[in-house]
Amino acid sequence: MAVHIGGIGQSVPRKEDARFIRGRGNYVDDVKLPGMVYLDIVRSPYAHARILKIDKSKALAIPGVLAVITGNDLVPLKLAWMPTLMGDKQMVLPTDTVMYQAQEVAAVVATTRYIAADGVAAVEVEYEPLPVVVDPIKALLPDAPVIREDREQKNNLIWHWETGDRAGTDKAFSSADVVVKQDIYIPRIVVASIETCGMVAQFDKVDGQLTVWMTTQAPHAIRTVIALVAGHLGLSEQKIRVISPDIGGGFGGKVPVYPGYVLAIGASVLTGLPVKWIEDRSENIQADSFARDYHITAEVAAKKDGTMQALRVKTIADHGAFDAAANPSKFPAGLFGVITGSYPFQKAFVEVDVVYTNKPPGGIAYRCSFRVTEAAFAIERLVDILALELKRDPAELRLQNFIPPQAFPYMTTLGWEYDSGNYAGALKLAMDKIGYAALRKEQAEKRSRGELMGIGISSFTEIVGAGPSKHFDILGIKMFDSAEIRVHPTGKAIVRLGVKSQGQGHETTFAQIVAEELGLPVGDIKVEEGDTDTAPYGLGTYASRSTPVAGAATAMAARKIREKGRLIAAHLLEASPDDIEWKDYKYQVKGVPAKSKTMAEVAFAAYTNHPQGMEAGLEAVDYYDPPNLTYPFGSYICVVDIDKGTGVVKVRRFFAVDDCGTIINPMIVEGQIHGGLTMGLAPALYEEINYDENGNIQGGTFMDYLLPTAMETPNWETGKTTTPSPHHPIGAKGVGESATVGAPAAIANAVVDALAHLGVRHIDIPITPWKVQKILKENGVAE
Amino acid sequence: MHFEGTADIGAPRERVWAFVTDPEKVSRCGPDVQRVEVIDPTHFKVVARAGVGPIRTTFALDVVFTELRAPEHAAVRARGQAPGSAVEMTNTLDLTDAAPGRTTLRWASDVVISGMIASVGARLMQGAADKVTQQVFACIKEQLEAPAEPSA
Repeated sequence: MAVHIGGIGQSVPRKEDARFIRGRGNYVDDVKLPGMVYLDIVRSPYAHARILKIDKSKALAIPGVLAVITGNDLVPLKLAWMPTLMGDKQMVLPTDTVMYQAQEVAAVVATTRYIAADGVAAVEVEYEPLPVVVDPIKALLPDAPVIREDREQKNNLIWHWETGDRAGTDKAFSSADVVVKQDIYIPRIVVASIETCGMVAQFDKVDGQLTVWMTTQAPHAIRTVIALVAGHLGLSEQKIRVISPDIGGGFGGKVPVYPGYVLAIGASVLTGLPVKWIEDRSENIQADSFARDYHITAEVAAKKDGTMQALRVKTIADHGAFDAAANPSKFPAGLFGVITGSYPFQKAFVEVDVVYTNKPPGGIAYRCSFRVTEAAFAIERLVDILALELKRDPAELRLQNFIPPQAFPYMTTLGWEYDSGNYAGALKLAMDKIGYAALRKEQAEKRSRGELMGIGISSFTEIVGAGPSKHFDILGIKMFDSAEIRVHPTGKAIVRLGVKSQGQGHETTFAQIVAEELGLPVGDIKVEEGDTDTAPYGLGTYASRSTPVAGAATAMAARKIREKGRLIAAHLLEASPDDIEWKDYKYQVKGVPAKSKTMAEVAFAAYTNHPQGMEAGLEAVDYYDPPNLTYPFGSYICVVDIDKGTGVVKVRRFFAVDDCGTIINPMIVEGQIHGGLTMGLAPALYEEINYDENGNIQGGTFMDYLLPTAMETPNWETGKTTTPSPHHPIGAKGVGESATVGAPAAIANAVVDALAHLGVRHIDIPITPWKVQKILKENGVAE
Repeated sequence: MHFEGTADIGAPRERVWAFVTDPEKVSRCGPDVQRVEVIDPTHFKVVARAGVGPIRTTFALDVVFTELRAPEHAAVRARGQAPGSAVEMTNTLDLTDAAPGRTTLRWASDVVISGMIASVGARLMQGAADKVTQQVFACIKEQLEAPAEPSA
């Protein structure tokens, strides 16, 4: 029956693919409104400069240019600055100083996209260059130029955050048998979603209604932010409608509010015309929120026998010129505290210093639940370094140390209650599937012949599904999420959610949850998201929170419907409600399977023959506040071969065992893992944005910012274990980000393993052929 | 980026000095110069095309002689903009007599390029800028050593 209705556990083909594979998706740039005009942005060539003069005259002289907007034009509207989600403020347009290259300086509105671009080229800006700070470590020096002169605090430190027991951890380190320590830099990267950011803003001057079509992962939160930021201009929340149509990848990059959005809305209010703003690729890479950029120093204290005891981590985080990450209020460094990973450390202390530099702002959770990738990478690298130090096999050292299955729920020393796990089970399965023992043998043989082969393991623990509202909020809005289900008289249903798919397949998976709970075929259930006028309020999709939070809300709303349906079924079956049970996807009189009613029959009765005294209709809403986060985990094993001539690393095999609890749609989960692994391969070997000493971005186009193509991507092999979440209504955990979080360390560990006999302990990612070849040359083994 | 070099020019120091401090004349040796507008004897504006590889753009440069000590030392600052890019240059020129009728021109140039050209062409920039600088001084030498020009 579960197969028949397409319930939980079935690989139901994705409903949304019918339009995507026909090229019939509806993205923001597909929105075309009568009289629509176009906005383009003048950006700063300097990383830090005073603006002496902006001359609009030549741009305004171009036929078709309607307006040129500068920071000074926004001052009387109180829109030159906007608040960030981190309690800082960010320039929409500068009035006197630019703070990073590609920062927005002015906006041009014109009748066509091409004229807007000509207008941008014609705006003359005079700058006086200022000293540039690109290195966050230098930014903390006492004589560093102060980047944010607008702040009272006259240095570049944004905030300091720490967690854990400093004294106890120091004590554990001072008495430890073995200590390993490593500096690890996790470079700045961008999400590089296929669709760049954009908006169509339509302000109706007659009724004051603002409708925006926008690339956002969190439409409801955006509506509230617009009302808070521009309420003084008459944009009150009931007159704001945010529509998030199909989105071509978000990965955290479509959570923040970018100046371009504010400018598009402002331009529509100013002109009374619909305004479209779509970033080009370089703008997307150069100016949108970055991810990572953590300078980590991590240490593990252990006993001689390999028992890991304590973890000490100091991090300097480069947040660019404005603190515009999107972390929950109480967790400015996100969920970095999950850095104790899959191991029962007795003591840990973690501190993060966050610093301003002349770089674009961000620090977003790129396909990871708020700084979890950084945490997982650091701990999984450290475990390998400890194994090397103790001359132990890294798999064996992990198996010795894992938190055992019987210890769950397990409270970590940093205060996170892991819901469920079987870490050894996942690693043993991965070792078995890939043939670990044979690979080690092969490696030893190859090494004796001078060939370079490495095996890397990553046994990560993720933390997703923010979150319990007592701990998690963004701008004070609690991180619950919502679902509304309406069952129509003919037994079909519509489900509306506060989250927003960007490719995750919500239209299919949420329908499957409802199918499972209500016994309706998955094809009879329509899922709708992204329109704030129709969907219930929710915080949106990021940090793998849709299934843990909105998925739970969906199940709970369905159960409310099922409960009302039981009363209707009792009425139809002329039985006491207490004698009605839900069995085999229908209502049955206990012990009399022949006397039963389907949900479709009950739905019809809800509108045509409902019991006296009961409200008609069959619908329910649930706002779900999860009691805890969920903790998916996995073990990945990667095998690499290194070319001694070129230094090129080839990923020969990669076996990923994931455990995300109950799986709603195995095909979609596998797809999520394949995509996530590729997005984990990318920073391990290719992606990085760096800057020269003048703050010029060195990876601002796809010429220089390398993404893996089908040529570089290996054949991913996947497997699974299933350890349901005990507190989630259907036992599910999030999975969208596991592979991105877990993969980089497996690849880096494999490369280091291939070179360990040469004395290599660590290589910062991305592990480019240049870096590897340098090591090979230094050791005299390059060919 | 820092560049420096020496040119041996077959012309007397006064003539070299007069050439290199004349905005009209010296600008003619700039790469792909399209327009020169002299504001006053020490300040002029130049519109020139420059770039790296296929990425070329039009720069509008403000040029100022910040030091003039005839006929031996000059310093020039040029600052310019192009859509999405900016350039900042400081050049010094020192003239000494090499032999009767010959002058040694020592030059040094500090160039900072920002924006799109710097981002996209970072790996090619040193070479491209070096080439342009070499061309400028080769041109100066050539112009000064050319047989008497009627309207130079």
